[in-house]
Amino acid sequence: MKQQTLHGEKVRKTVMSVVLSVICIIYVLPVLTVVINSFKLNTYVKTDTFALPIGDMWAGFQNFIKGMTFGNYPFYKSALYTLIITVLSTALILLFCSMAAWYIARVNSVFCKVVYYLCVFSMVVPFQMVMFTLSKTADRLQLNTPWTIPVVYLGFGAGLAIFMFVGFAKSIPIEIEEAASIDGCGPLRTYFKVVFPMLKPTMISVGILEIMWVWNDYLLPSLVLDINEFRTIPIHIQYLKGSYGTVDLGATMALIFLSIIPVIIFYLICQKYIIKGVAAGAVKG
Amino acid sequence: MDKSNPPTLFVIGNQQGVKDWKDYAIDLTDTAIAKELNTDAYNLYDESGKLVSIGYCYECYGIIANPDLIEQAGHTMDEIKNFDGLKAVAEDIHARAAELGFDAFSSSDMDDSSSWRFTGHLANLEYFYEERDAGGWTECPSSLTGKYMENYKNLYDLIINNSLTAPTDLATGGHDAENEFKTGAAAFFVNGSWEYAAVSETVKNATMIPYYCGVEGEEKAGLNCGTENCWAVNSKVSEADQQATIDFMVWLVSDPDASAAMVEQLGIMPYKNAVESTNGFLNDAAKYTADGCYVMDWATNYQPNVDEYRAALVSALNAYNADQSDANWDLVKTAFVDGWATQYAAANAA
Amino acid sequence: MQSILETNEALAAEAAEAPSAEATVRESLEAKAKAARERDLKGYKPPRRSLFKNPLRRWGWLFLGPVVAAFIIGFVWPFIQGIYLSFCSFRTTSDAQLLPAKGENLFGNYIKAVTDPSFLHSFWYTALFAIVSLIMINVLAFTVAYALTQGVKGSNLFRTVFFMPNLIGGIVLGYIWSMIFDGILSYYGTSILMETKFGFWGLIILMCWQQIGYMMIIYIAGLQAVPEDMMEAAKIDGATKTQTLFRVVIPNVMPSITICTFLSLTNGFKLFDQNLALTGGLPFIIQSDGSTIKTTEMLALNIYNTFYGSNVAAQGTAQAKAVLFFILVAALGLIQLAYTRKREVQQ
Repeated sequence: MKQQTLHGEKVRKTVMSVVLSVICIIYVLPVLTVVINSFKLNTYVKTDTFALPIGDMWAGFQNFIKGMTFGNYPFYKSALYTLIITVLSTALILLFCSMAAWYIARVNSVFCKVVYYLCVFSMVVPFQMVMFTLSKTADRLQLNTPWTIPVVYLGFGAGLAIFMFVGFAKSIPIEIEEAASIDGCGPLRTYFKVVFPMLKPTMISVGILEIMWVWNDYLLPSLVLDINEFRTIPIHIQYLKGSYGTVDLGATMALIFLSIIPVIIFYLICQKYIIKGVAAGAVKG
Repeated sequence: MDKSNPPTLFVIGNQQGVKDWKDYAIDLTDTAIAKELNTDAYNLYDESGKLVSIGYCYECYGIIANPDLIEQAGHTMDEIKNFDGLKAVAEDIHARAAELGFDAFSSSDMDDSSSWRFTGHLANLEYFYEERDAGGWTECPSSLTGKYMENYKNLYDLIINNSLTAPTDLATGGHDAENEFKTGAAAFFVNGSWEYAAVSETVKNATMIPYYCGVEGEEKAGLNCGTENCWAVNSKVSEADQQATIDFMVWLVSDPDASAAMVEQLGIMPYKNAVESTNGFLNDAAKYTADGCYVMDWATNYQPNVDEYRAALVSALNAYNADQSDANWDLVKTAFVDGWATQYAAANAA
Repeated sequence: MQSILETNEALAAEAAEAPSAEATVRESLEAKAKAARERDLKGYKPPRRSLFKNPLRRWGWLFLGPVVAAFIIGFVWPFIQGIYLSFCSFRTTSDAQLLPAKGENLFGNYIKAVTDPSFLHSFWYTALFAIVSLIMINVLAFTVAYALTQGVKGSNLFRTVFFMPNLIGGIVLGYIWSMIFDGILSYYGTSILMETKFGFWGLIILMCWQQIGYMMIIYIAGLQAVPEDMMEAAKIDGATKTQTLFRVVIPNVMPSITICTFLSLTNGFKLFDQNLALTGGLPFIIQSDGSTIKTTEMLALNIYNTFYGSNVAAQGTAQAKAVLFFILVAALGLIQLAYTRKREVQQ
């Protein structure tokens, strides 16, 4: 009897494994389709979407070469701008929001409470609510270049970061900081020597959420940046569709492939943190 | 314009510009530069008839044709002098496409990168004939009559039904129409003069013909030509400066070296003594004009709320492409004619 | 809300465990703190807590300053201005004029918004989409999470793969799926842009692909937290697998279910990029006056199109729509908060 249930269990697990494997394959198919089409000649992408790029259809690296300058905008530029914006924004958010959060957690003033609750409030406000006024404000303050738009990200992204940092900072025992203070550390040194290192796990979670948000963000930069000069990857890909002249589907697929690669590499390296960070940010969605 | 050192020469590109800036521009009628023009098609006048600005270059669009393929199919370009001629040639080629190895029209995709060829350019034939009936538009009309919708339908049907791609497969695009024409897979390609460099690489004899659509007297039709590049001369500077400016303009359009440099940059100049363009399609346009054909000006530029208007038209044309029923064409008409009035009202709401 | 607090605690616990350079620094500091407390016991007068706080308080400009400044630029000011503009007639933000000043109803923009058939259509379409995607995503994500917690071989690999699409941006996703759907539909002589139902189900499939992995992670965390002794007890009582699932497992993962439900609901309502890139609103219904209803246009895209559809006169209406949209999304958020709070009290 027991033997039988064990056997039944084993069969059940094998069946589940098989079913999951099949789903797994279905799951990677869309990405594989992008990969095979990026090596396919343009004219076949439309007619033979799911065929392997063999024989007449094989395009070699032609799509990638064409894609580099496709859409009257060099791809390396949009990749570079996306990287600059993502890195700067994330750095700004991590530094300033963790500082502010520590201050809010430690100083019990009305102003701090107001800032904190405004931040929590901002998390439920959809971007469309502020999109028009924010883009005008950013324009007036010259926050419309890849080097200045991180300020906008800091402002609009502060809510979630502050919320997460405050939650964690409150759980840090205050005695350690007091000891540092007795040792003669000023608040700034206390922050960088004591608090900052301890915030590291939250830093990683917040950092990953911000990287994923900023890297993939389309609407905010498309409204704020001067599109003719600065295009992030999502903007570039969206504008390929609307550009005058015929869209080269092969080259587009090559660009999409190229733009997914860094994301996948990032994911495979930081998988553990990403899954944790994303789960932590569940409240924002 | 109220800078301390104002420019003497500036650009007024459209009727809105004329409205805003006419007081700052001198009347160019009968000036030396006006006498150099070979057409007044690109001139902008204000309501009192003052010549506010004059075109210095232009572009054109129409149907690009490959005469070699047409001959290969046993026809000549001379047969195509009106819609019936075009229809006969196109339908014959399409019927024998398998045997000939090429088709009549290249694909007319309806995605954002191509749909403007039909919702913007091709639509111009309807607007232009309405405009001509009305004695010319100086501003966006608040509504259309739709009188020439049948003609738009004539040409549109011909294009989608005698093409490499089935009409039902056009919505998301992805067909490389330019390449189809360049590689000799299609004999006709709806586009503009900016395609000349790309197309003439392989189709040396490529030529551009007007939108023949079955309108009375269309044998005298020319290409759809237009520009937003028009010169105006500042009226607030001294007469000597104005004269010097006009002399400079005349030199630009008549001196062989100067005009050659300008033409290389701009494509073509509508002046008697300017050097000839290297752009075959613009030369075609000039030849039609020289032969006394009427220029179909860009009435399309008046489309109100252009993005919304065209998006609706794309959707209606998609439905029509999938099922060419009368009901669906009525929807195209609604989007085309009533959509204009609706968008005009929206754009001009207080 | 609950999950984040839990996670923060977990993170704090992890930080405390981390044997690293920081930990050593901390240990030495802790020793000092202990010493201070001991001195305290011996009658030494310690610096009061407020003495520690006061110096920090003076540094507010440095710690709070940058965030507050950016927050005002990036959120507070645009938000207030947005509310104000929804009662105005304007072309740019500087020439705004309150509607009554022009002899119009103060709520004129709101009236226009709620009587705009395209807005109403997008509302119902979005609501339907949100509910269908909510059910699909959660049922599938829970099933996958449940399967993965049964000790199947290769669970980690499966988890990695299922979560991956979540990292790809909405615009790129839209493009990928539009190619795939058209690759299939072109065999049938049609396209995803031709029929509303294609656009609807296409977007559902896309969102399932993207979101299942995400929700799965939350469900796995919930499933792993089901008390072992309850499972044991169920087994001893001779409960079948199904009975255990419905009587023991599901009641215990209710908090995760609540979180995921509201998450997918708000995600559905706020969807923009994927909607824009997949169908962009096509196909349209052409109304008899030539105006259109974009049948696959969701709320966020409708607001965007009202703002930037080259009709400057409608910007006031667009801002009013945006405020209504905000109220809707914020209300969902508040209901979620209230609901989770209530559950916490009950437990």
